[in-house]
Amino acid sequence: MSETSIALALEAAEARLRSILQTVPDAMVIIDEQGRIESLSTTAERLFGYEADEACGRNVSLLMPSPYREQHDAYIGRYLETGERRIIGIGRIVVGQRKDGTTFPMHLTVGELRTGDRHHFTGFIRDLTDQQITEDRLKELQSEVTHMSRFTALGEMASTLAHEINQPLTAISNYLKGSRRLLERMEGENVEMLRDAVAKAADQALRAGQIIRRLREFVARGESERRIESLPKLIEDASTLALVGAREHGILVTFRLDPAADLVLADRIQIQQVLVNLMRNAIEVMSEGGAVRRLDIATSAGPDEQVEVTVADTGAGLAPEVAKQLFQPFVTTKRKGMGLGLSICRTIVEAHGGKIWVDSPPGGGTIFHFTLRAAADDRETDDA
Amino acid sequence: MSKAPDVILLVDDDAAVRNALKFSLEMEGFSVRLYPTPEDLLAEHDLPTAGCLVIDYRMPEIDGLELVERLRRRGVTLPVLLISGRVTRSLRDRAFGLGITDVLEKPLSDLAGSIRRVLDDGP
Repeated sequence: MSETSIALALEAAEARLRSILQTVPDAMVIIDEQGRIESLSTTAERLFGYEADEACGRNVSLLMPSPYREQHDAYIGRYLETGERRIIGIGRIVVGQRKDGTTFPMHLTVGELRTGDRHHFTGFIRDLTDQQITEDRLKELQSEVTHMSRFTALGEMASTLAHEINQPLTAISNYLKGSRRLLERMEGENVEMLRDAVAKAADQALRAGQIIRRLREFVARGESERRIESLPKLIEDASTLALVGAREHGILVTFRLDPAADLVLADRIQIQQVLVNLMRNAIEVMSEGGAVRRLDIATSAGPDEQVEVTVADTGAGLAPEVAKQLFQPFVTTKRKGMGLGLSICRTIVEAHGGKIWVDSPPGGGTIFHFTLRAAADDRETDDA
Repeated sequence: MSKAPDVILLVDDDAAVRNALKFSLEMEGFSVRLYPTPEDLLAEHDLPTAGCLVIDYRMPEIDGLELVERLRRRGVTLPVLLISGRVTRSLRDRAFGLGITDVLEKPLSDLAGSIRRVLDDGP
């Protein structure tokens, strides 16, 4: 082929691509293997609020919020290195970020295209903001969490009952035990009968204790499954669900994730439930009012192989007397609700060997903290 | 040859539990001091050098493990029995990590027996 005909063919190909990009109804973004945006369809320009000219050449992480923004290069790198597909050809619901900083749920499908030895990736994006599909997916996720909640609420109630009833039982059986000792030193015609009665009463107190224990074991049977999980991933998944509607309430969400706080030993669903609970509470509190509405989710690696997660809001804050008993069951500041959410959070976190507490700084707002055990990264040994 | 009775320092926020344990332990020959909150124990200047601490795990403000941590930092080396309405494996692990001798689940049918074992093992 002559140089002219190559040039003509190239021009024709480019024209075809331009026409596709202008007319394709889905938002479409093509990137190279470094993650740099090569082209943007007209729908994508409208969706993200960027002109093709200003977006091209920049890293595609521009179109996503933290924490994905910081990790996207690593995602591509990992794929190129391992060939393991996590999104390519699969499609997932993820979060996109517009030029004005607002975020929205979107369905992303990625296709791969090779020219020579270079890779390009084509992303097809559907904005899910108004779509039924978001609703459906949400309902699905929510029902999963609600089911979990009920299950845990039952367990929590049994555990609370066990604790509350164990206190008077402890008093009863120890008064009886003391009485028995006292009776051993006494004499008289009725003492023998009294001793027998006290011993039998003590046996019954112990029996009541066993019944309580069995009830608790019965509801706790769905023992939690603890595995090594990526904390950023847990937060990412929980926030996809929890942050729906955050934008409508004008809430700005920030993530500050410590790269050193990575792997944790956790039951994925339970810890996600804690995160969703804390985030939804924060959103609910802030949607009630306030000029500044910011939700900040942060992680940090602490000493003693613990990692700490904080969920901070800029709501009205907590009265000290409320803060003190916030994690007790059946304590609530809401008109609806049983006041079990935070007490379930505490049960879950403590069962993971962590702690949960709350701060209400003088400047306003509320910060929930909880800790989890860090897990050693066994996978690193493969890198050598 | 009567030896002074061993002193048991008991911290529990539930008054009925506190008083009942005092009654049963005194009947077993122990001398018992009661503290309704961790702060009350921390404010105590005259801690005995022999005896044993019995501490409830779940208390508002400072929990039993944190109280033990604070006491250890102050150089209090008395053996500790942790008592709780619910004993999980993770609670046990954390307690042993702090050098707590044993973790007992309420309703505590034989606290005196456990205390005797702790005191017999002592120096």
